[in-house]
Amino acid sequence: MCSDRALIEVRNLTVDYVGEHSVVRAVHGIDFDIMEGEAFGLAGESGCGKSTVAFALARLTRLPGLVSGGQVRLNGEDVLKFNKARLKAYRWNEVSFVFQSAMNALNPVISVAEQIMDVIETHEPSLGSDGARARAVELFELVGIPPARLDDYPHQFSGGMRQRICIAIALALKPKLIIMDEPTTALDVVVQRDIIEQIVELKTELGFSVLFITHDLGLMIEFCDRIGIMYSGELVEVAPAEAILTDPQHPYTRALGNSFPPLTGARVRLEGISGTPPDLRSLPEGCRFAPRCPHAMERCRLEAPELRFYPTSQSEAACHLLN
Amino acid sequence: MSELTHTPSIALTSRGDKATDTMRAPTQQELMRELGVKPKPGWTSRLPPSVAAFVTNGKGMAGVVILLALVLTAVFAPLLSSYDPGRRAGKPHVQPSYEHVLGTTRMGKDVFTQLVHGARVSLAVGFGAGIFAAMIGLAIGISSGYFGGKVDDILTFFVNVVLVLPGLPLIIVIATMVEQASPMVIGLVLALTGWGWAARTIRTQTLALRTREFVLSAELMGEKKWRIILVEIFPNMLSFVMGGLVLGTIAAILAEAALEFIGLGDPNAVTWGTMLFWAQRNMALQSGAWWEVFPPCLAIMLTGAALVLVNFAVDEITNPQLKASRNIGRIRKFLSRRGRSADVF
Amino acid sequence: MIYLLRRFAFYVAAFFVALTFNFFIPRLMPGDPSARIIASFQGRLNEAQIDAIRQSYGLTGSLWEQYLTYMGSVFRLDFGISTVQFPEPTASLLFYGATWTLVLVGLAVFFAFIIGSMMGIHAAWNRGGFFDSFFTPINVMMNAFTPAIVALLLFYAFSLQLQWFPLGRAHSTEIMPGFTFLFIGNVLYHATLPVLSIFLVSFGGWHLGMRNVMINLLNEDFVILARAKGLSDRRVRYRYVARNAILPQITALALSIGFLLGGALVTEQVFNYPGLGKFTFTAIGSRDYSFIQGQLLLLTASVLVANMLSDIANVILDPRLRT
Repeated sequence: MCSDRALIEVRNLTVDYVGEHSVVRAVHGIDFDIMEGEAFGLAGESGCGKSTVAFALARLTRLPGLVSGGQVRLNGEDVLKFNKARLKAYRWNEVSFVFQSAMNALNPVISVAEQIMDVIETHEPSLGSDGARARAVELFELVGIPPARLDDYPHQFSGGMRQRICIAIALALKPKLIIMDEPTTALDVVVQRDIIEQIVELKTELGFSVLFITHDLGLMIEFCDRIGIMYSGELVEVAPAEAILTDPQHPYTRALGNSFPPLTGARVRLEGISGTPPDLRSLPEGCRFAPRCPHAMERCRLEAPELRFYPTSQSEAACHLLN
Repeated sequence: MSELTHTPSIALTSRGDKATDTMRAPTQQELMRELGVKPKPGWTSRLPPSVAAFVTNGKGMAGVVILLALVLTAVFAPLLSSYDPGRRAGKPHVQPSYEHVLGTTRMGKDVFTQLVHGARVSLAVGFGAGIFAAMIGLAIGISSGYFGGKVDDILTFFVNVVLVLPGLPLIIVIATMVEQASPMVIGLVLALTGWGWAARTIRTQTLALRTREFVLSAELMGEKKWRIILVEIFPNMLSFVMGGLVLGTIAAILAEAALEFIGLGDPNAVTWGTMLFWAQRNMALQSGAWWEVFPPCLAIMLTGAALVLVNFAVDEITNPQLKASRNIGRIRKFLSRRGRSADVF
Repeated sequence: MIYLLRRFAFYVAAFFVALTFNFFIPRLMPGDPSARIIASFQGRLNEAQIDAIRQSYGLTGSLWEQYLTYMGSVFRLDFGISTVQFPEPTASLLFYGATWTLVLVGLAVFFAFIIGSMMGIHAAWNRGGFFDSFFTPINVMMNAFTPAIVALLLFYAFSLQLQWFPLGRAHSTEIMPGFTFLFIGNVLYHATLPVLSIFLVSFGGWHLGMRNVMINLLNEDFVILARAKGLSDRRVRYRYVARNAILPQITALALSIGFLLGGALVTEQVFNYPGLGKFTFTAIGSRDYSFIQGQLLLLTASVLVANMLSDIANVILDPRLRT
């Protein structure tokens, strides 16, 4: 169900945060593609820029963030250059978003029905409010919430139900891509599993692509087709999901995998990664991981490695050790 | 779904276009230049962050400079004028001239002399009441937020009562009962009725800090409660206390002027409020002596404006969201120069 | 409902605190309060009248008896007899003045709240733009110009110099009061400058309040989601941001009523307007304690009523308070 045609192509994407006295480069020229029907994951420590990428893709970068360079192409069109009218159509018809905290993603003082119906009415005015309501009922059934509760307010739902409502809203216009920024982090483990299973089911049924972001590497490997590993604003490795644990190319990916407990098999000693990510206001000359890398060589400190494709492992990685 | 066989990414084949002009991202240095972001001035590096943020804030420093000028004028009032503010210095209602820079009142007193001497009392009462009110607000807000439970219930009740009691009418009752209210009494009453907002803000902030790690760890280590309040909580409250102080001072200066204007003050004291009282009583405006009315008006307005500027700076420090909008114009320009729609939020 | 009942209980308690204040303040002051009251009649009274006054002011018997008498008379709306307009009951003077004050404050608050909030919405939406950087500081500074000064300046410019507006009174004496266009127009004409001076010192507060609350809300997930949904700017601005920002504004509005009533007092003095403030001013001059105390109670009661109304409005507008 995942085709070879790229839906989204990200090229040299650069995002800065403009502070009062400094400019912080949160995302530094990254490239990746999301295929049609593919679930693409972005993983990395907090602050590595993965959420920033997600927001930039949806054209939702908020102040003081600034997409200062690069391209995001949707079927060849440059998303960053969309004018107001095109942007309005892009939003939700083509890309929708599920936020980390469903608690804050719904307006507490207006009814859930209105928050689903307004997006339908805006983009498909011909349906009318009855049509929009009928669609809202369908969506509620799709995510397994009794449609009788459509007119309730967000605080009357549990955390898991609210996230389902957010997913229903994300599905309202059958978009091509749904960006999920840590959609289950704020939920407890049992509810987490339910929601993920539901997303998998819906994805099979409706065939949208997903950009999935989470801290939970295990969940990500299970759910995604390919995974990109980010470190300090750069993509260090893009690999098929299962290869992240079994055949990591980049030392950082390996370290990330080692700090993650396997669900089956023998107990192993978990290793953390010593040191902290570099200060984004003044970055090291060469590879950003070099100061923390156990295998760093002279060259690593001088020259930044490029992301390259290695056919033997079917992975892309940016590391001098591989050459 | 992970049994999928994955074909090599086509990303690599199309990577040649990386150098296209529109896609090139400026370096951080170029970006700083284009957006007018200036590195932190070196001399502020040793200051605590909130103080450094204040001294580099244009609006705030403008307010401080005006206030300093006003305070200096008040302190050196006797040097600035050779007349006695309480005595007749010339003919009644003399127009502004070389002899009398701002003219004279109907009683023949020199307006400029009254203005600079009046600054002493008006500013002292204003700042005195503002500081006192902020202190009460701080004490009650911190205790209420930190101790919680019954203490919080009782204190919150009093904070709410003080908030709903109409200040000026209450002061009028008290001031009439003490016959003529000296500036001291007015200041005291203003402080005692004006601490509600400060207490409420500081209580909310304390509640937020109460559960932070450094407070909890101090508690686990068996620190005494008053020590935790003083050492762990108080330093984080400084900018909120500052906000309360500024707002309290504005309120006190305005209320003092209003009270004296309606005749509740001591008419023999020389303050901006009593100047307005006498001008109104002597029908200065009706008889065309605008110079008796405008100078104290302008002085009060200038003080108010300066305090508002300081408050803007304090707001920006306590609420970083407000500051984020500063570069918005330049960010818009940056985008439109590159042919991208400036949908900035 | 429980929320409203709790609030109501608080207002009743607060009113008792105010009553108690009012009772004790004159009795804590040096000297016998009755002597002061009787002295203020300047020998116009005989022995029997003095006794009657002592009786009616509740100044006989123990402190506890006096307190009960006092409470009883307040609830019968009996505030004693005015010394200025002897033997007019204080209550009728209070209510006459309060009517005109209500006209001034009502009109001023109405316009200030609406115009100030609209400006705040505009400034927040276009934050950092010309309107925001120029008008926000200026409007807020006006807030720090006491009503006394603004009233004096307006009076000087428009009543004395240009003579566009009358020098005093609430309406011309030659027009018969009644619900005629002529009379209402005349009342509005007389109220213009006093209303304007209260308006000018208060709308900046609503501007700043609305702007700051809005700016904080702009970063909330539910606003970002509303934008991501491609809703029109208008809908996001009013339905998702201003809708929520108005809630704290309503609470602040009720709390500010006391301050505004105080401001009206000074304004009325300048414009010789026959409201509560004008009477209070006369009462201060002749030490009419019953009136001065009565105005405090009346104003406290109106602030409490305003707060109650704001609570009810909040319950209607915020579904979270309804359960």
